[in-house]
Formats: sequence, structure tokens, C-alpha cells
Amino acid sequence: MSILKLTCTLGVALVTSTALTTFALAQDTKTIKIATHYNEEQMAPLTDCFRAYETSHPGIKIEFQQADYGDFLQTILTSRVGGTSPDIYNIYSIWAPQLASAGALATPPAEIQDWIKSAYGAGTVGAATINGTLWGIPTELSVYELIYNKKILAAAGFDAPPATWDQLHDMAAKTTTKNAQGVIDRAGYVYGPTVSNAVHVFYSQMFAEGVAPYSDDFRKTNFTSPEAIKILERQAKLFSEGVTSTTNTPDDISGGTAAMAIMANWNKYDFQTAFGDEFENTIGVAPVPNDGGAPGTMLYSFLWAVDSTSKVQAESWDLLKWLDTAQDGKPLSCTGEMLNKLGALSGNLSDLAAMDVNDNFSKPFVDAISSGAAKSQPNIWQADENERTLRGYIEQVWAGTMSAEDAMKAADAEVTAVLAEQP
Amino acid sequence: MTNATPAPYRQPSRSRRSWKVVDWLGSKAVAPWIFLAPTLLFAVVFFILPLIYATYISFTRWDGLQPPRWVGWSNYNYVLTVDPVFWKTLWNTLYFSGASIVIGVPFAVVLAYAFTRSRGQVFWRSVYWLPMITNVVAVAYIWRFVLDDRYGLVNRTLALLGLGAPRWLNDPSLALTSVVLIFVWMQLGQNMLLFSAGLANIDESYYEAARLDGAGETQIFFQITLPLLMPTTLFVLITNFIAGLSYFALNLVLTDGNGGPMRSTTVTGLYMYQTAFNDLRMGRASAMAYILFAVILVITLIQLRVFRRGGVEAH
Repeated sequence: MSILKLTCTLGVALVTSTALTTFALAQDTKTIKIATHYNEEQMAPLTDCFRAYETSHPGIKIEFQQADYGDFLQTILTSRVGGTSPDIYNIYSIWAPQLASAGALATPPAEIQDWIKSAYGAGTVGAATINGTLWGIPTELSVYELIYNKKILAAAGFDAPPATWDQLHDMAAKTTTKNAQGVIDRAGYVYGPTVSNAVHVFYSQMFAEGVAPYSDDFRKTNFTSPEAIKILERQAKLFSEGVTSTTNTPDDISGGTAAMAIMANWNKYDFQTAFGDEFENTIGVAPVPNDGGAPGTMLYSFLWAVDSTSKVQAESWDLLKWLDTAQDGKPLSCTGEMLNKLGALSGNLSDLAAMDVNDNFSKPFVDAISSGAAKSQPNIWQADENERTLRGYIEQVWAGTMSAEDAMKAADAEVTAVLAEQP
Repeated sequence: MTNATPAPYRQPSRSRRSWKVVDWLGSKAVAPWIFLAPTLLFAVVFFILPLIYATYISFTRWDGLQPPRWVGWSNYNYVLTVDPVFWKTLWNTLYFSGASIVIGVPFAVVLAYAFTRSRGQVFWRSVYWLPMITNVVAVAYIWRFVLDDRYGLVNRTLALLGLGAPRWLNDPSLALTSVVLIFVWMQLGQNMLLFSAGLANIDESYYEAARLDGAGETQIFFQITLPLLMPTTLFVLITNFIAGLSYFALNLVLTDGNGGPMRSTTVTGLYMYQTAFNDLRMGRASAMAYILFAVILVITLIQLRVFRRGGVEAH
């Protein structure tokens, strides 16, 4: 055999064996794709854990896909239509009814369900449960409370936050200032342009007044209740009296140009960034003002869920349990570590106990969860659509183009019609 | 005289049948279609099939997650008779499209006319063209800063002049007009370029003859330029109107996707997007798309008829 022939033969053999080995390895490696709305910087603690998991679990490869929060549901939809669904999603709990009804979500295996029920608080597990079926592992919890600027209130002569809405109205009026053109340059109280800026605040105030926004079976609303109408009338009064306007937004709290707003705890990071060392001296947290009854507010949750078409369901649930359990004697799980860095709260009881939540800002939120004052956002059918409808009517009341009663009647009719579509 | 008849022509290596196929393919009836095939295939895959599918979807209830369920005309019925938002969005759409033409087209004609008579035509055209090549998201964010009620450049300038501060994007009665003005600013360069091309096609002899007859510049503009620009005007009007009726990117970014305040900037395109991708009601959104298509078709046919009779054909 000539040298040339020998070289060619060896070359072909080498290429073939390399290709076969690669193919065999590819066959053995299972890839788990995880989609979240967190960006790469926010996900950093988790991506470190992914690499650690890959090392300790040969044959598992983890890919992270980021999708913007506003486009997340569309991303799930288009990826499923295209047959390229991620295996694991971090979904907002209100999306779960539609996804579960469409058969897009896999139910956790029995042992994972048992673990979730023991490792997470009952209220949190409820946020991931629809009609008695648990669909995933709760992750980030967000709770609404009254956020206020201590310095602005103090300068106006108030050394404590408002406990009732009348007090809030009085304080807001006294802390509002306008520029020479008549534009509110410092609002006593702010709402905001997003659906949640209006609807979550409205829900929180309803819970604070002791009335749930929906019936227990989520087929009817309580929008026409006297409490709901009173809440809206009081909100509208802030607009009509020039105490707030749609120009003023929750971002103004970070900018030091708004005195109060009902906001979620995840804004902590922004406040810390905005106020630096003065954060604790500037920002205070108090229960949502009501008419003197027991405190109440709303919480919402994200959850880890597994796609029903995933070919690596068992591996995905194993990975999720690993990510949500503290490893190697560390105080926090991987998910808990990420949430802690974000200033967010975890539904995982051991994570919550180990988080930095004893500061003046976080403690009231944690207390609201542990006391049961914070109720889960109702996982209603077509939540996005219904909440957008509700926001539309709330805006009409703010603008004075509809009375609170008429607006709530109209919202009730529209939302109830949509709720009637659910299976 | 010999009976020598020429032997029939025989192909040396191919059958008669295969040559027939080649001849057929090269014939005038077939060859153009072969050349057009890639374009036609593209159109079929990306335009015609989706259109047919959208027609089917508009008669179904489909969330993209489960198989479509046939519901007959109920989507059309809901949109036209029940939906409290659709008609408002349609009015917003017509206002947006109409106002952008009423403000933008005359402005573009005047600017194009002025620049054809000025030095540095290319420079000015480039300057006015720049918004067209700027990303709409960047445009929207810059204008949000410029029109901010408290700190925006416009209201700060008005403050210096001792004037009040309009709430450009926060007042429901003003927000859509503000969006129209930004859209006009974005489209101005393109329209100006089209009118410049139309102006360049007008023979200089018309102007010379008019001047010899003693016509002034204003008369020349209204009696010569505008009528001879009618084909370009028709094209600009139709394309702008169609673009305006289906446009929503600017509204989406300027209002954080809400189309607010109070749905005042929600045009039908944006409402369709929200219905399809926020509410996962693909069938209803497809029905809206077909209703909007019908509206665009009717308006375009009216435009064609009016302008052909009174404008293009008259000249």
C-alpha cells in the first residue's frame, strides 16, 4: 500500500470515528432549555448554578433563553407553534389558567408536588394552583404595600405614614407642588401608565377593604360592590383635585418627586440605586391604607413550569428541585440567591428565612406574607385581557368621563362575559 | 428534376418527446412563467397562503395553543356589534391616517417645491430623509423626552415664553394628534423625495410658457405645478393612507404598548396586535384584519376614482 493510500485510509477512519463519537455523545447529552424574563445580568447566579449542575450531572446541558416580560406569553405561543418550546418556563401565575387549559403545562410528579407543599407557604402554593391542580414551583413573590418618601412627608409636618385613605388624601394634598405652568412637579400620590399600576393597586385596595376582587370560583367580579366603587371615587378625587395626574408615575418615587404610591417590593433595587446610603432614611413602607379594618393587600407569584411536550420532563423537574434547594451547606438555594440579589422575595420558606429581609423596607412585605394579610392575585381566565379592560374603565373614572358606579358596572359586564368562556 | 426529398431532421441523441418538452418550456406561453416562478412561489408562500389561512382563522376560535374551533361569523359579529373598543380604534385609525395626510402631504409638497429651487437640494433631502432610516423605537423614545410634560424641551421652551404646558402624550384629547405630528415628521422625507421626483418630471417648457404669458410664481404653482403633480400626489395619498391605516409601531412604543391614555392612541392595528398576542384571540384579530382590509379597499377605490376623474385623467 502506498503512503498516499495509507494516509487517505487513516484520514477517513479518523474523520468517521470522530463523527461517530460526536454523534454518540450528542445522543447521550440531554439539553434542557430554560426561558425566563430575567436578563443575563439578573440570571447570573442561576447561570453559575447551571454550569455547576452540568458538571455534577454529565449528560445534561442547560440552555438559557431570555424573553422580555411583555413578550413572554407570545414567545411561548410562537415557540410551541414552531415546535421549539423551551422545556422550562418561569411564568407569571395569571398566565397559568390558559396555558394549563390548553394542555401546555406538565403537572409535577407526585414526589415533587409533596416537596413543593412542604417547602413553600400555603398562600404561595395557592398562587401556583388552579382548580386544585398544582402546576409548578413558586419562585418570585411580589407584594404591594404603601411606599412613601419619609423626607417629603416630614417636610410637610407628617412623621408617620397614613393609616386610612382620608389621611392619605390629606397628606397627598399637602405634599403636592406645581410648577409655574401648573404642571404637578411633585405629586402627593402617583399611579402610572401600565395596567398593573392601576389594576394591581385597585386589587390591593379591595383586599385592604376586606373584599376580594372576584368570587371564589373566579366566574363573577365584585367590582360593583360598595367598597370597590368607594375606592375608585377616592382615586378620582385625587385627580380632580389636582393632587395627582397621569403625568406623574411611580418612577417619580425613585426620582424624589412623588410622596406616596402603592407599589411592589421588587422596586427595592431601584430605590437603593436611586438613594444610595440615604435609602433607609428616605423610603418607608406601610400597610395599604383602608378604613380601619384588618390590613390586607395583594401578592403575585411567578412559578417554574415544565412544558407538556418536553422530552426531558423528568430531568427538568429534577433540575428545578435542585435549583430550589440549598446546596452544599449554603443558606440560599440558587433561585433564592438570584431573587435575593434582585431584592425580591421567595415563596420558598427556607429561602425566605435566610434572605436579607429584616431591613425596614423588606420586613413589612414579609410580614404581610407570613401573617396572611397578602392574598394571591386571582388567577382568573384571560387575566391580561380582563385587566386591560378594567384599566380602561378605571382611567375613565380618573379622567372624570364616567362615574365610578357606571364604570364598574360596565367593567363587570365585560369581564363577567369573558370569565363565562372558561371551561 | 429529381425527387430528392430532404431526409427528416433527426435529433442525434434525444427522443422527439424530450425535445417537445424543451420547445414547450421555451415557448412564449411558458417561459415567462418559469422566470416568474421564484417570485410567484414567494408570494404564494408568504402572502397568499397566509391570507387564505387568516380567512379560515377568522371563522374560528384559536389561541395558538389548541387546535382552532369553528365558530362561523361570531368573530365578525362580536367585532362589529358587541366590542365596545373596535369602533373607537377604527375612528382613531381614520383620524391618524387622515390627519397625517392633511398635515403631511401639503407640507411635503411645499418643501419639495422650495428645495427644487434652492441650493444644496441633496443635503436638504438627506436631512429630511434621516428620520426614515432611524429606528422607530429610538424615534419614539426621543420624542417622549422632547414632549415630556414637566421636563420636555417643548414645554420648557413654552415656559420660557410664558406659555402653558400642553400634556402632549397624557391628555386623551391631544395624545393622538401628538402621535400624528411625530408620524408626519417621520414620513416627511419620503414624501418630499417622491414629490421632488415628480417635480423633476415636469417639463421646464410649461413654466417658460407660463412666464411668457405673465403668470406669477403663485399662479404657476397652483395652475401648473400642482395639476401636473397629480399622478405623484395620487400615489403619495394612496400609499400614505394605506400605511397610516395599518401603522401602529409608533403608538405601541410611545405609549408602552397600552395605546393610552384612555385608548386615545389605540389604532386598529394596535388593537389587533393586543387581541392576537396579549389576549391570544387569533380568530377575532383575523376578523378585525379583514374588516380593516375592507375599509382600506373601499377608501382606496374612492381615492382612485375621485383623483382619476378630477385629476390624473383630466390632465
